[in-house]
Order: sequence, then structure tokens, then C-alpha cells
Amino acid sequence: MEMISDVLQFIGVFVSFSIAYVAYRGVRRIHSSSLLRLTAAFVFLGFGFAVEGFVGLSQVIPNLPFPTMAVVAGLLFETTGYFFLAFSHALDVMMSKRMGVALLIFPVISFSGAQLIDILSTLSFYFVLYGVVETLYSYARTRKPDTLLIAVGLAMISLGTFVQWLSLLYLNVDVLLLLQIIMKEIGLLILFIPVLNFAVGRVRLDGTI
Amino acid sequence: MAQYRTQVRIIADVLSTAKNMNTEGNGVGVTTLLRKGNLSYTRMSKLLSELVGSGLLLELNGDKISKYMISDKGTEFLAVYHQFEDFAQSFGLKL
Repeated sequence: MEMISDVLQFIGVFVSFSIAYVAYRGVRRIHSSSLLRLTAAFVFLGFGFAVEGFVGLSQVIPNLPFPTMAVVAGLLFETTGYFFLAFSHALDVMMSKRMGVALLIFPVISFSGAQLIDILSTLSFYFVLYGVVETLYSYARTRKPDTLLIAVGLAMISLGTFVQWLSLLYLNVDVLLLLQIIMKEIGLLILFIPVLNFAVGRVRLDGTI
Repeated sequence: MAQYRTQVRIIADVLSTAKNMNTEGNGVGVTTLLRKGNLSYTRMSKLLSELVGSGLLLELNGDKISKYMISDKGTEFLAVYHQFEDFAQSFGLKL
């Protein structure tokens, strides 16, 4: 089961870096700061999945040394990625002069002496949840089916993050570990849809097919 | 409700106006760009000279006033902008 979850982590690496690549192309072409933040978010998420994948492999394959701190580093990357995603939404909220930023501040003041891994997992959960709320708000405004799909994808990721947090409490339940990875992967695969749409749109625009 | 716009969105708005309002093919005047772009004269003048300098807009010099027309490079920029706008909107974000 561990091996499956490690392989799934590397699918997450591929999806995250693909989204980051498309967003970075946007930064290069039109110098958009929103796309720069999106690039940063998915680069961090990609590194997070990669580190967590390698940590998992180090437990399965003997003689593959990996420091314990790598677990924290992986989670830190992941949380930073989700933070950039939430931060992008928060900036959009500020630019459209409506309330909603307070939701982002809430988790920062809600900890009291918890362990670092717990804090990172909880922060990730809040950041993704904030992303879900804002993406749903955006869908209500634009009625774009892709936006609704992304909201569903982010919701799956936030559920996965919640299960990850639960798996920290119940360390002996392997099913929770696999369940959180599957939820996150389904969420990430849904996030991959705009990348596919972008590729199709680009082919149409270039007229190469 | 009024919203702040990013620089890239302002540029896209100005280019769109220059493209869509140029119905007679002889360019669009500053007044039209100001009205549709919702910018101050000073800011618009600075932006127009930047856009002309970067080749996104063409400046057509008339007898008294200058008119502006979108260039091929500007049209390509707009197409790319709309593509990435779609991409960002999928994530619920604005450019």
C-alpha cells in the first residue's frame, strides 16, 4: 500500500509542474502577477509531492537514506504552495473591494502549542478550503464550467488534507494514508483539466491542426 | 462595485478598445480610448507612448491629432492574453 501511495505522489509532481509550466509561460508572455503566484503555488506543491514521494520510497527501498526532517520539509513545501493559491485569491478579493480576506487570517490565530506537522497540515487544510470558497464565488460570477471543476478538485484536495491530518492522529491506519493520497490525486487530476483545455485552445489558435 | 485593475488588464482593455472601435480603419482617437479605458489623460498618454514604443499599438499622425491602431503584435498579445485569462479564470483568478 505504501508503494502505491508513493507512486501516486509522483503523479502529483507531474500534474503540479505541468500547471506551473503553463502558468509560467503566461508570466513570460504577458507579465501577469496572478500567473506568477499560480506558478509559485504549483512549483512548491510539486516539490512538496516530490519530497513526500522520496520520503515514502526511502521507507520501502532499503539503503535509500532520507532525513526525518524531509517529512517536515515536504509538508512545508505543500503548505507554502497552498498559501500562494489562497494568497492569490485574497489579493483578488482585495482588488474587487469585497470582504473575504478575514477568512484567510483565521487559521493563523487559531493555534496553541501544537506540533509543527499538525500546524502545517491544518494550515494546508485552511488554505485549500479558502481556495474552494473563493473559486466557488468566482464560479457564481462567471458560470464557467472549468471553474466549478477546479472548485471540486480543490475540495477533493482539502478533504485529502483533512484525512492526512486524521492519519497523523491515528498512525496505525494505513487506509487513511492511501485514502488521503487518492483524494488528493483525484483533486490534482481535476486541476489538470485547464492545462488540457489550454493545450487544445493553443492548437486551435495556432491553426496547426 | 468599482474594481482595481492590474496593469496587464489595463493594457488589454486599451488594446481591445483600439481593436473594436476602429470600425472605419483609420484608428481610434485618444478621447475614445480615455472614455472606454477609464484612465486619466496623464496616465493614458504615458501608457500610449509605452504601447507604441513596444510595438503593440501603431500611432497614425493626422493633421492635428494622433490616432491609434492595434498592430499585429498587439492582436497576438490580445489573443494570448485571452487564452491565459481563460486559464486563470478556471482557477477562479483574475489577470
